[in-house]
Amino acid sequence: MVSATHGSDEIHRIKFSSMGCPCELQVEADAQLAERAAAVVQAEVDRLDRKYSHYRDDSFVAMIGASADAGESIVVDNETADLLDFSAALHAQSGGKFDITAGALTRVWDLQSDRVPEASAIEHARSRCGWQRVEWARPNLRLPVPGMRLDLGGVVKEYAADRAAVLCRQIGVEHGIVDLGGDLAVIGAHADGSAWLAGIKAPRDTRQAIAQIELARGGLATSGDYERVMIVDGRRYSHIVDPLSGYPVASFASVSVVADSCLIAGAASTFGMLLGLDSGYAWLRDLGLPFLCIDADGNASGTLARENAEA
Amino acid sequence: MGARPHLSPSLAALMSAAAALAPEAHAQTATGAETDSRVSYRFNDYSEDSLAPGPHLGDPERYRVLSQQFQLATRAGSESAIDVSATHEVMSGSSPWYLLRGPDNRPIQVMSGATIQEHRNEVRASWTQGAGTSSSTTWSASYSQERDYRATALGVERSVPLGDALTLGYGGSFSHDLIDPFEAEKYDRVRHEDKNSASAFGSLAWVIDRASVLQTGLQLNVEHGYLSDPYKLVSVGSSLVDDLRPDRRVQAAWLARYRRAFSAADAALHVNYRYAQDNWGIVSHTVEAAWFQTLPSRWELVPSLRYYSQQQARFYAPYFVDAGSHNFYSSDYRLGTFGALSASFNLRKRIGKWEFSGGVERYHAATDYALGGADAVVPGVVSYTRAFIGLDYLLQ
Repeated sequence: MVSATHGSDEIHRIKFSSMGCPCELQVEADAQLAERAAAVVQAEVDRLDRKYSHYRDDSFVAMIGASADAGESIVVDNETADLLDFSAALHAQSGGKFDITAGALTRVWDLQSDRVPEASAIEHARSRCGWQRVEWARPNLRLPVPGMRLDLGGVVKEYAADRAAVLCRQIGVEHGIVDLGGDLAVIGAHADGSAWLAGIKAPRDTRQAIAQIELARGGLATSGDYERVMIVDGRRYSHIVDPLSGYPVASFASVSVVADSCLIAGAASTFGMLLGLDSGYAWLRDLGLPFLCIDADGNASGTLARENAEA
Repeated sequence: MGARPHLSPSLAALMSAAAALAPEAHAQTATGAETDSRVSYRFNDYSEDSLAPGPHLGDPERYRVLSQQFQLATRAGSESAIDVSATHEVMSGSSPWYLLRGPDNRPIQVMSGATIQEHRNEVRASWTQGAGTSSSTTWSASYSQERDYRATALGVERSVPLGDALTLGYGGSFSHDLIDPFEAEKYDRVRHEDKNSASAFGSLAWVIDRASVLQTGLQLNVEHGYLSDPYKLVSVGSSLVDDLRPDRRVQAAWLARYRRAFSAADAALHVNYRYAQDNWGIVSHTVEAAWFQTLPSRWELVPSLRYYSQQQARFYAPYFVDAGSHNFYSSDYRLGTFGALSASFNLRKRIGKWEFSGGVERYHAATDYALGGADAVVPGVVSYTRAFIGLDYLLQ
């Protein structure tokens, strides 16, 4: 635990790793409460990682996958049901582009392989995707095609950040911020009422911040391709795959959105990415939340870009 | 962050989809902490003002009620919640008995003799299925007993989402009350009477935007049985008769509630309006506004204001000159024309697992506060002061 001061109060920074990314909790409280908050946050994020990771064989998501292979339906708990309802609403609103059943496609696009998959492999994967084919009648879920997989990666990290912030408040932490690999949820502003400063990494040099955003409440989420990307014949392929076309989206290098919760910010930034350069920008502008888009050349646009330029 | 963003249809849809996945809704945590359970204690002091200056007979000191309540609210599993409470009340003081026609036609208020201490006990339990979700059902039951009155009530209410931004609420309740007036023989009062009450309501709550919700609903209450007050008499000509009301009362009410959150100020405004009308001729309006303000260090302040106006029942009069064509008579001020203004201030402070609360309300009623009440003559209209303190312990 690293400590610093902001005004008269001590800020504790606790770094840990979960959900496959670097995480950090900052709280302005006494050391004992900070330690307790760190334990609660790590336990909660680990719980959600164990439950929803599609990299683990023992996760609930893996059990759902097994039920698809067996052709059976599975009863899900309340929390999972709420996540599925939320994902279903996003699927409907994005016209099918936001799809938690796109797991098979994500796997076909192995970004470490440095090669574009065969068209037949993409088609095969596409045949095992499509939320509209899923039978979902809360709490019963049936994935109709063997090999179909859920990938809740697009919502769980944001949900976990919000959950962590809520649990911190419940144990009495009033000032702090949760950062799960760039998805941020504010527990409460600094004790003196000032906002936390969140840096958005530059696409080309992730050690550098391209923008500083003030966050006094709510959440900030960034969706981007500069951390997981492959370049073949000069073309960038992101980890965000459009389930309708089967190909990664040619879009911004990153989209960041500020909202009342990290969950909403995450959904909005993912939508912005999925819709691509023109319609993504227009959609974000009409959405009305503060946003920042960075294109492949590192140019910033959006309401937050203007603020940063003025600052 | 710049100016507050406006609300677009896309954002409304996102907000509404996310609302079901409120991180607060999931009590299940890695530590197994259940933060929704609490034990509470409340002490309440309700004190009516002495009878207003004017001609009267008897003790002008009116009712005082001291009550204590214990409550346990707890989660039972991930989706259901149980709430049980027990209340004990001690009442003392005198109340308006009847009105005499005075020499100048001014009514003279006659008070009942001051009662010795009366006690009332009540137990109440409710069970909610789907607690913390958008679709929930609450079953409730209560039983209340005092020396001359027993009431048993059962109720159910449901809330069902109709769409992204619309929630339907509906429910009903039934109550069976037994009345055995005290000193029935001495004062020639009725004995062993009963009444049944049934109530049904339906409401629609509409999420207007990210910060505001509008709810509107209709309620129907039907009472049948002995609806008079066995302790009140009425002057008719030169004789005194029992308070006598119809044995059926049907009331319809329309209500509207508006909630708006001001997130920058960490505050919320609640505004309520209720219109009610019944077949006895009583028409009433209630307007209420409350401001919920959260302050640093876990303080919450809630100032609120309420206005109430009522037009009298057809069979109300301070006294009746003669029996005439009247079938029913009552001089109970609660059926007369009056209006009331009330202001209250509540506060709450959390320290660790303890929550302290306290509040005070001043309620002032008068005939000329009522809409069109300038000429009304309703002696005995009551004003009161209420104060409470409470202590909650949050169970982990």
